[in-house]
Amino acid sequence: MTAIAAERYTGASIKRAEDPRILTGAGRYVDDIKLPGMLHAAFARSPLAHARVLSVDVSPARALPGVVAVLTGADLEAMTVPGPDALMALMGWAGPTPEFTLLATDKVRFVGDPVAIVVAESRYIAEDGCELVEVEYDDLPPVVSAAFALDPSSPPLFANLGDNIARPHSRSEFGDVWSTFANADRIVDFHIDVHRHQNVPMEGRGCVASYDADRGVMTVYAATQSVHVSRIAVAMRLGIEPDKVRVVAGDIGGSFGLKIGASREELAAAAASRLVGRPVKWVEDRTENLSASGQAREESFDVRAAVSNDGDLLGLDVKMVIDTGSYPGMGTMVPAIMEAMLPGPYRLAALGFESTAAITNKASYVAYRGPWASETFVRERVLDLIAKDLGLDPVEIRLRNVAPRTDPPAVMITGRPLVGVTSKESLERVAQLVDFPAFRRRQAEARAQGRYLGIGVATFIEAAPGPRSPEGPSGPMGTESMRLRLEEDGIVALFTGQMPHGQSHQTTLAQIAADEFGVPFEQVRVVVGDSDVVPFGLTGGSRSATMTGGVALHGARQLKVKVLDFAAHLMEANAQDLLITDGNVWVRGDPASAIAVSEVARRAASGQFGADVDAKLEVEATFDGGEGGWSGGTHCAIVEVDVETGIVKVERYVAAEDCGALINPAVVEGQIRGGIAQGIGAVLLERSAYGEDGSFQSATFMDYLMPTTCDVPRIEIEHLETVPLDADVNFRGVGEGGMIVAPPTVVNAIEDALSPFGVRIYEQHLPPARILELIAAADPGQ
Amino acid sequence: MVDITLRVNGATRTGSPEARKTLADFLRDDLNLTGTHIGCEHGVCGACTVIVDGRAVRSCLMLAVQAAGSEVTTIEGLAPDGGLGTLQQAMWDSHSFQCGFCTPGFVMQAAAFLGDHPDADEQQIREALSGNICRCTGYQSIIDGVLLAAERNREQ
Repeated sequence: MTAIAAERYTGASIKRAEDPRILTGAGRYVDDIKLPGMLHAAFARSPLAHARVLSVDVSPARALPGVVAVLTGADLEAMTVPGPDALMALMGWAGPTPEFTLLATDKVRFVGDPVAIVVAESRYIAEDGCELVEVEYDDLPPVVSAAFALDPSSPPLFANLGDNIARPHSRSEFGDVWSTFANADRIVDFHIDVHRHQNVPMEGRGCVASYDADRGVMTVYAATQSVHVSRIAVAMRLGIEPDKVRVVAGDIGGSFGLKIGASREELAAAAASRLVGRPVKWVEDRTENLSASGQAREESFDVRAAVSNDGDLLGLDVKMVIDTGSYPGMGTMVPAIMEAMLPGPYRLAALGFESTAAITNKASYVAYRGPWASETFVRERVLDLIAKDLGLDPVEIRLRNVAPRTDPPAVMITGRPLVGVTSKESLERVAQLVDFPAFRRRQAEARAQGRYLGIGVATFIEAAPGPRSPEGPSGPMGTESMRLRLEEDGIVALFTGQMPHGQSHQTTLAQIAADEFGVPFEQVRVVVGDSDVVPFGLTGGSRSATMTGGVALHGARQLKVKVLDFAAHLMEANAQDLLITDGNVWVRGDPASAIAVSEVARRAASGQFGADVDAKLEVEATFDGGEGGWSGGTHCAIVEVDVETGIVKVERYVAAEDCGALINPAVVEGQIRGGIAQGIGAVLLERSAYGEDGSFQSATFMDYLMPTTCDVPRIEIEHLETVPLDADVNFRGVGEGGMIVAPPTVVNAIEDALSPFGVRIYEQHLPPARILELIAAADPGQ
Repeated sequence: MVDITLRVNGATRTGSPEARKTLADFLRDDLNLTGTHIGCEHGVCGACTVIVDGRAVRSCLMLAVQAAGSEVTTIEGLAPDGGLGTLQQAMWDSHSFQCGFCTPGFVMQAAAFLGDHPDADEQQIREALSGNICRCTGYQSIIDGVLLAAERNREQ
């Protein structure tokens, strides 16, 4: 690798350390692992949405040559420890807790629910074995909609709950909701739907579980966002002491929230490995990924807005129902985040928020990039609908309502201060970048020729990390830990619990540490993915920029102090007079004194020092988020809608984003563009589709349509770095914003394009057929 | 089992796959060439793209036995000694990829396309790569990498 010359690595688009292996096929993903004696697992899955399991006959499958074991739900129950979903347990969920078995036992609850695991000498034979598993079902009425799930007459999916409510109805009020609505000039009502869609990483879930009976140690090679969360789940469920479970992860082919911890299938594979005494690999295929890995969104909102005649959004009253699918987890926790985030950067005087989570016969609701994103969709849709009623421009209504930057900062009606929020600046910047008056002229000319162009804007904020909590000792995301060590070859090794799956941590964290410690970028190694050596951590929630970037910075600073103290002893100098640059320690003003940090480390390792000398060149650092702050921005899309075919083309897309100081601009922009692409896909293409009988209708890439090179335009990105809050760490998270704000941006643009038809849009999924329906059903008089 | 002989990355290889085994699985399991990734197994995502007799092919839709006698190039054999060729270097310089799972397929598809269309413009490249799915990047960085490689190829 060629040395990279830069004054400072931080802030520069340093080429990724990950790329040489990825570009040559030398990446190591979970499916690339081969262990001696390794077997392969496949799952026999339910073809029905809701049914009683009367019998499972696995004897024909067991008889197939090459099949080593076939285990049913009852077998797994006998081999494992009962308990709730590990993630819910970890997050302290205290609400309704349905039975959570690794495989279906008495019932199947969605198409794709695993019924038996077949372990065989090859994946081909394991799948053959699945074909031979004979299950007798007794159909039950499918509970396919949240509305039916909340109807007391719907058959409960879980006997121990008695109904289909995963999160009981609750209502919160912030500000004086009653008088805000009583005194408003106008009250408008909407029903807004967000459809079910899903993460779809290019690599599905998977693991290789390998149990060593002699040592009682379970090693799981996993694709996970946290080796420790996976480790805890395996230990809990298999009844193994946590210190005897080791989870190892290599390269991971994307996740977007899907791979948090160990899934039911991974736990079943681990249990199977312990039983048969050989390693067991399970890697899901695309049909399993689409039907059974999990899905997201599908929320509905009844919205009332209190508005002044001048266009002030005074209050919102929102009733939300979330469809958690069959095995409730993340879906029960999302409503609380939506409630807190719903005011966004706006000066709402009052908010009423009600939510209920319903259990249905669909794949389980999982976290997907910005799990609470629908609050932004609802709010930004409502603002445009109000603006249309009042004849206001979309930028104008937002600038009118957005909280200005003040000292002390304005506080969201739900409680969090808008520290460092620059929504106003990003709106103004977008208005400069996109010449709205010129667009309106072009739009009018195009309409005269029968072409329908539209422009949409939307604004978001993301708590990445969020404002520092005034009452707590630590910051908004708790703390992040890192161990840092100067190795004998001069490498500065960072041990982090972050588990990158595309985020480029092995580049960005090395940039920060290299600058802070004073070594070349290539001399920093970021160690991830081994629960025996990395501290607890999780990649998710856009936490790594601030939290892990911050602990890398402070940790490298602490390690440097230690190294200099030791070097001072070695060099017979004052530590205050020593510097580290370019991998050498030297006495200020005396370049000839320089010795390499590797030499310092080797001398420290020699052990030739008395007890008064601290020769352990290692630190354990923690960081609490510093002063915190919000990420955010405004996006703008220009679309053309073909009113004959319903096809929407995104012609131009502009993003003005503020994630504070950039660690690596190319990495930041990759995150923003990737999120926007997912948002465009969500609106124009993607839908996890179920029939009225609960059949799953999007189990291939011919049915679940992913955005391609021809669907995603060039994206223009403008960075605002407006408000430094912390003395050292002003990096803020940028992982989720694109996916959060692109859907309302694109939908707002489509509605604008169709305004001559009087189309009003109250939903997020707008494939061509739906566009044509909206045009046909619209009232041009509006 | 069917005995086959083929050339892979310039070397003669033999194997005895089951007749039903895909070329993708044969490359990965039998030849340990795990750089070829399997993303959908129904020919839509392009992650498994390899070059067979000069043409980009989805190795999940081709049986190993169908490749008997063919010349196959995988990501491991694109540049000599596992180094970076012009296209890979340009993609590194362009920050083309994130998680890397779709990468081998994109690289092989782009390599085959650029070989036949050295002067391709952005729109042509977009169309040529529209059968490969990337979930991370929004594609712009990949397109930029291919454009940069084409430019460098022309300068050479």
